[in-house]
Amino acid sequence: MSILSRVVAIARRKSPWICRLNAGSCNGCDIEITPLLSPRYDAEQLGIELHGTPKHADIVLISGTLTHRSRKAILDIYDQVPSPKAVVALGSCPASGNVFAGSPTVLNESLDTIVPVDVWVPGCPPRPQAILDGIARAAKLLEEGATRSQLARSLQGQQAQPQPQPAQPDLTQPELARCEQGRP
Amino acid sequence: MAMLKTVLANLLQPSRTRAPADMPPVPQTYRGALVHDAGRCTACGTCAFVCAPKAISFTQVPGISVSWHFFIGQCSFCGLCEQNCPTHAISLETAVPGVMNNAAGDGLRLESIIALKPCTRCGAAHVPLPESAMGSQWSEEEKGYCPECRRWAASAKLRSAFIPAETATPAASPALEGAGHD
Ligand code: SF4
Ligand code: SF4
Ligand code: SF4
Repeated sequence: MSILSRVVAIARRKSPWICRLNAGSCNGCDIEITPLLSPRYDAEQLGIELHGTPKHADIVLISGTLTHRSRKAILDIYDQVPSPKAVVALGSCPASGNVFAGSPTVLNESLDTIVPVDVWVPGCPPRPQAILDGIARAAKLLEEGATRSQLARSLQGQQAQPQPQPAQPDLTQPELARCEQGRP
Repeated sequence: MAMLKTVLANLLQPSRTRAPADMPPVPQTYRGALVHDAGRCTACGTCAFVCAPKAISFTQVPGISVSWHFFIGQCSFCGLCEQNCPTHAISLETAVPGVMNNAAGDGLRLESIIALKPCTRCGAAHVPLPESAMGSQWSEEEKGYCPECRRWAASAKLRSAFIPAETATPAASPALEGAGHD
């Protein structure tokens, strides 16, 4: 590893920028992210900064139950995050649907089947510190090049295969219609 | 000026923000990581019945063991299982469940294996009751009985309390009658 790429890797751990995505949460997990960004828990002590757009983010925090509508949105937003990227799943909902599992509008599957998840933060909702710990762990994985998307890319690079282009959203259609396409 | 005072007063203080490992004190009733004690569990199924998100399930190897399974990714930390467990085998500790790297499979699941024991009277495999649940009304030998044999022993005791031993016919004595369960 050259010195430059080493510096870039350390910078990734020292300043992970996050983007949060509510996939259909009850808002409990999102409420816990707010104190995380306040002076009390102070995510910026780890260089964590919240960004409104996925295009600036290194780490995506996904909270909430996966619904038929949010599946497409998750894929859209995940594809917009520049590589390398890490995914942190908050709470029980992304893992299983929690108490909402079995509802007709809820996907009864783990978030892992939609995007590669690197860190699971258990809790309902998880404590702010647990979320902080999860982000720190994801940042460490990013530095080591060990997030699942990075590993998949390096595996593809070894096999010298052309990388599949992420599906481009059809921007000619209104937003709601694009979401509707994701429904079974 | 006031700002300068604040800055000077805080200059040598340690940071007042909380690092991830620095847990603030939580009440004793805080519901964190779930712990299950296989030695106290009687596999009664009450916890699985009260759990709304169905985080608890059972599997069994007939005649050998019953396994209690818990998937943390489906738990809403409501504490109903702890409140309703008759033998206090489940407790929600104040510790926070750790962050997991692996997918929603291993690491997020707990499994407790409860080994079945043969009944000391009829030999049927059964889930042994924990010592605390047995109380003092059972003798040492009776503590190894299966539920059916305990039922039989309880009714035999009740009968002997009403029918004095000398008036009972020899055939009604517990030792001879006890070949079957009834
Ligand atoms: S894990 Fe719990 S708090 Fe978080 S979104 Fe799901 S139900 Fe709400
Ligand atoms: S943990 Fe408690 S409630 Fe659950 S099966 Fe065991 S004894 Fe019954
Ligand atoms: S705490 Fe609530 S959700 Fe979790 S296993 Fe117990 S009953 Fe189920």
